[in-house]
Amino acid sequence: MKKQNSIFSLVLIGIFVLYMIIPIIATYMFSIATKWDVSILPEGYTLDWYQTAFDHPYFSITLTNSFIVSFSAVLAGLFFIVPTTYWVHTRVPSAKPLLDLLMILPFGIPAVVLALALIRVYNFQPVARSPFLLISGCVIFSMPFMYRPVSNSLMAIDVHTLTESALNLGANTFQILVRVIAPNIMPGILSGALLVFATVFAEFTLANLITGASFKTFPLLLVEFTKRDGRVAAALSVISFTVAWIASLAILWVSGRGHKPTEEVVAAH
Amino acid sequence: MSFSSRRPRQNLSAWAGVVPFLVFCLVFEIVPVVLLLLGSFTDKAGAFSLSNYQKISTPIYVRSFWNSIQLSGITAILGAIFGLLIGYAIFNLPSPRLREALLALSDVTTNFAGAPLAFAFIVILGSSGVVTLAFEQYLGLKLYPTFSIYSYSGLILAYLYFQLPLMILLIIPAFAGLRREWWESAHNLGANSWQYWRRIGLPILTPSLIAGVVLLFANAFGAYATAWTLGGSNITLVTIQIAFTVTGEVLHDPGAGDAMAMVSLLIMGVCIAIYQVANSRARRWAK
Repeated sequence: MKKQNSIFSLVLIGIFVLYMIIPIIATYMFSIATKWDVSILPEGYTLDWYQTAFDHPYFSITLTNSFIVSFSAVLAGLFFIVPTTYWVHTRVPSAKPLLDLLMILPFGIPAVVLALALIRVYNFQPVARSPFLLISGCVIFSMPFMYRPVSNSLMAIDVHTLTESALNLGANTFQILVRVIAPNIMPGILSGALLVFATVFAEFTLANLITGASFKTFPLLLVEFTKRDGRVAAALSVISFTVAWIASLAILWVSGRGHKPTEEVVAAH
Repeated sequence: MSFSSRRPRQNLSAWAGVVPFLVFCLVFEIVPVVLLLLGSFTDKAGAFSLSNYQKISTPIYVRSFWNSIQLSGITAILGAIFGLLIGYAIFNLPSPRLREALLALSDVTTNFAGAPLAFAFIVILGSSGVVTLAFEQYLGLKLYPTFSIYSYSGLILAYLYFQLPLMILLIIPAFAGLRREWWESAHNLGANSWQYWRRIGLPILTPSLIAGVVLLFANAFGAYATAWTLGGSNITLVTIQIAFTVTGEVLHDPGAGDAMAMVSLLIMGVCIAIYQVANSRARRWAK
């Protein structure tokens, strides 16, 4: 009875793992296969598709644009969301329910709806369809990913005692935040920053609708290639997957062992 | 309240520190959405009107809502059932290392949505995809044209890819809330395992399951990139229809887009509200 149960469990887990990794492994292999449409394994291997991708004039442009948008969202998180979260935790606890609500809202607003709302309201130059509008939308959409881990870390440490001791020693708010609080909540800040980076880097909807062709990001180029050249699309997908892997592994690494990152990802969702 | 009457001035200046953030949210989130709401209730001349809502009661828009609700519902329920089973299997694994590794895999894969994921499914299940070929050569099963990754059945498979790990991550903390002592007491009182699950286990997991289902539903309902990459304009989903009104497809009326956006917000709002209630109930059991 017990044994049957565990065999059933292992079969379930096995199918789950296959379901999760086959699409990824197949994409990695497809991106280096010379020809792969009649047999189970590719007939040969090549890096030509990567060469074609790198040589495409839009490759470096879209990659740069994606990095600009992702880093801007991370910076906004670090210099805007983190201080606000700290301030609310220590000085205005009565604002915490409001902050919690504002951080849940982005999950209730589908990206297409946010894009539509921003486009309708900001239909004048120079904001209309600008990278600035895209970045602002990305900050709204990604701020819960920064807020959750930081807020959890702040609750885990004794913020009040730390703040008061620092105040007694003559530190100002800026010094307290940067030299006392930030080092203590560094794992939260880092996993928040990496989550923001990874989600904004992969963001397609806002970029496609707000800036579109005038400021193409990496996922836009990828979608374009899925319709034009599957091999190059595979190479671009691999680059995209790799960025996501690196960010996720870094999150697991900075958060240390245990289930913490899982909780943060869940809470952020 | 007591704190504002005690130190009104300090509290007021402390609130000033939150103002920049509130202004940012107002400018780039709240005000645009509220204006969209108002706009959806006006006609082209700016007078109050329900014409936009009348427009979306035509078959094509009703069908897109129905498709979105069906796709989200099916993937939420399948994701919840299999997520529950797989989550329980993972939770009971004897090796903590393997458990950690599977949780890490779920963490990573639930974020693999959008264009790259859609393309990965084309690679394995497209008309000459690896899995399609394997089925044909080893099992003698021709998937096409009965199945197509570019159709709804394909979309369900692709959506489950990010729904399943999300459910696993949501449900595992709930299993941790099931105390060993409860199973032992039930067992000592003569309950078999079916009775235990029926009377104790499932009732305790129910709030987490409901929270999981609505979150998965909302997750699928708002998704756009995966469906757009796989099906393009062949698939009528609400998000795809709304996007058409933004990109200015001739056939699509902007007013209809505003009304659809508002109905979507309402559906999402209901999901998030149910999630909040169910989640706070679930937390009562979580350690």
